[in-house]
Amino acid sequence: MDMTVLIVDDHPSFRTSARELLEAEGYEIIGEAENGTTALRAVEELKPDLVLLDVQLPDMDGFQVAEQLCKLADPPAVVLTSSRDSADYGSCIQICGAHGFVPKADLSGAAIAALLTA
Amino acid sequence: MIFARRPWLYFGPAALVAGAIAVALTVTSDHEQHPALATALGLFVSWSFIFAGLIGWSRRPANRTGMLMVAVGFGVLVGSLSEANYSVPFTLGALFGSVFIAVFIHLLLAYPSGELISRKARVLVIAGYATALVAPLLDSMFAARHTCKPHACPDNLVFVSHNHTAHVAQTALWTTATVLLFVAAFSLLVGRWRDATPTLRRILRPVYLAGGISVVLLAVGFIVTPFSGFGGTLVSVALIVTFTAVPFLFLAGLLGTTIARGAGLDTIFSSVPERASPGEVQDGLRQALRDETAEVAYWYEEGGHYVDIDGKRFELPVDTRRRVVTRLDYADDPVAAIVHDAALLEEPELLEGIANAARIALERDKLLVEVRARAQRYFALLQAMPDLMFRISAEGTYLSYNAPNPSDLVEDEVVGRTLWDRLPRDLADRVLAAGRAALAGTPQVIEYTLDFEDRKRHYEGRFAPSGDAEFLMIVREITRRKQQQQELEASRQRIVAAGDDARRKLERNLHDGAQQRLVSVSLSLRLAQAQLEENPAGAQEVLEASREELARALEELRELARGIHPAVLTDRGLEAALESLAARAPLPVEIDGPRASLPAAVEAAAYYVVSEALANVTKYAQASSVKVTVEQVNGCAYVEVADDGVGGADPGRGSGLRGLADRVASLNGKLAIDSPPGAGTRVRAEIPLE
Repeated sequence: MDMTVLIVDDHPSFRTSARELLEAEGYEIIGEAENGTTALRAVEELKPDLVLLDVQLPDMDGFQVAEQLCKLADPPAVVLTSSRDSADYGSCIQICGAHGFVPKADLSGAAIAALLTA
Repeated sequence: MIFARRPWLYFGPAALVAGAIAVALTVTSDHEQHPALATALGLFVSWSFIFAGLIGWSRRPANRTGMLMVAVGFGVLVGSLSEANYSVPFTLGALFGSVFIAVFIHLLLAYPSGELISRKARVLVIAGYATALVAPLLDSMFAARHTCKPHACPDNLVFVSHNHTAHVAQTALWTTATVLLFVAAFSLLVGRWRDATPTLRRILRPVYLAGGISVVLLAVGFIVTPFSGFGGTLVSVALIVTFTAVPFLFLAGLLGTTIARGAGLDTIFSSVPERASPGEVQDGLRQALRDETAEVAYWYEEGGHYVDIDGKRFELPVDTRRRVVTRLDYADDPVAAIVHDAALLEEPELLEGIANAARIALERDKLLVEVRARAQRYFALLQAMPDLMFRISAEGTYLSYNAPNPSDLVEDEVVGRTLWDRLPRDLADRVLAAGRAALAGTPQVIEYTLDFEDRKRHYEGRFAPSGDAEFLMIVREITRRKQQQQELEASRQRIVAAGDDARRKLERNLHDGAQQRLVSVSLSLRLAQAQLEENPAGAQEVLEASREELARALEELRELARGIHPAVLTDRGLEAALESLAARAPLPVEIDGPRASLPAAVEAAAYYVVSEALANVTKYAQASSVKVTVEQVNGCAYVEVADDGVGGADPGRGSGLRGLADRVASLNGKLAIDSPPGAGTRVRAEIPLE
């Protein structure tokens, strides 16, 4: 069974590109959210295996969303992404409970898989 | 005159010879009824005048008083010729025997200077001499029948007739004329006395008393003698007493001056304390000169003028009849000056002696007075300063103050109160500490704030020592400076914040715009790459979409770059940059100017003023057109954006206008916004070009 994915990003163009790219690599995109609140709701509803989570969201940042997701009974895997470099965020990525970080420009199914198996 | 220098040598022997002749004539006279008495009186009176006159003459050769007294004495002796038993001397005695009265009047009117000051006096003296010469001549020509014992008198050589009518007529005429002359002389003396200063009166008093009474008695005698022999005798006796008193009183005056000079010197050197104040020196001088009005002025080298005993500038008055200046110089350098009663010039030996003595004392005082004058000048300087000033003792008590604006005082009562009475405790402590530090030799400056009823006021206090145990606190209000400082700091903070904000916005814009698009392009390229072999048509579609996305990213980057700094401004100047702004605006924009290029910073400010103002017009003004004017007037650049919209703009609204105001202020310019409701908005920046 393909891995189910929820894409969380406030930029529609990224959501479209990421969906096309990941679907091409065999991921099942079961939903999209444009901010933290809708993302949390969507996770409860859709129970995805993976959440591709943008760090900069209009209502709360990706780290806060990741922390909340970790607290769930059956938390999904979380991969953070951003057009910025991971170094810009210091240790936040490690602390929030996410599996890892992939820069937007380097996004690919293989990159996500590498993070999840690590 | 050769005898003027040594009058004793000539007039002493002359007086003795003349006296001997008078004695001989009187004693041998056939017609003198009391030869012994006449001899004694004649000699006593004449020699008294000659003796006193010669003393005065030799003491003050330039003063004619002595000479006139000698003349009176000889005049009296001339009268003795009428005692002669021979016609020629008898006639001469009769003719010239009265001249001494005219000389006496001359003496009185010219006393004490020996000069006839007024025209009236001169006329009177001339009339007196004329009368003294003509009256006896007429009297001798028309003599009474029995003036001597029968046949006792020698022949009168100028006798014409015993005509009774002629005799009575000429006697009445000359008696009247003479009495009138005496009255006129007396009234002149009275007038002179009234006009005299206290010092002059002191000098005039003895001689005027005796001389004035003599004049009155002479007049009375002229009137009484023809009618009453006894009355005439009585008047004559009184006259002899007062007349003879004149030379003795004159001598007493001379002697008095000498005594006064000694006493004055004693006053200067003994009575005035060694460390006398200039006031005490002046009092001593007044006492010594016997002139209560005398004033001392000290030469103030530094200022090039005289100062009084208090150190205030003193202009020496021009010499007048009543008041003159005696300058005390040392080796041609002025030391001091005494302004005194002109009458003291009649006592030159007193004035000179005292002045010489005073010069020594005044030279010493000059230093003290110079210090005072300097202090006076500094005081005037301090008074003229617009600052609040306090003299405060080392213990913290206010000694004096100067408040150009009394509203600057925390409390009206100052002198005698302490720092802690008037100021908050911690400030009082700071003030005293600063004052004491200044006394120890380090100038101090403190800043503090005081709460007044309406507002807080900021002050700067400067401290300097003003004595051994007191200091000066000079207070200047710096509220305005503080406000400007605060405004400047706030403006700087806003500029920094605006810079931070602009960078944050730029980063956000880059991140949300071009960066996102480039990320999409990157992902799309990856997708296209993956599809290239299996689905070339799909890959082609993705590549096409990527190209469009890339074009949008480039456009966004250009837009951003323009926001950071418009390239057109750098490349083609303000006019082209304004035209480009106008072209992008959604409403007609008319541009007037600039006619010449401006400094880069001014052009940038002008560009942003127009850019922000146009953005506001677009957003809020509901205007149909805008006019932009840039002009250069009197070394200033003026940038104005005026629209015909709804007006009512609030200058405090939004950070855009405030940021512009800061930008303009950083170039020392001003931004004004005029936006009455319903009448459009006018944003006007004024930026100096230097």
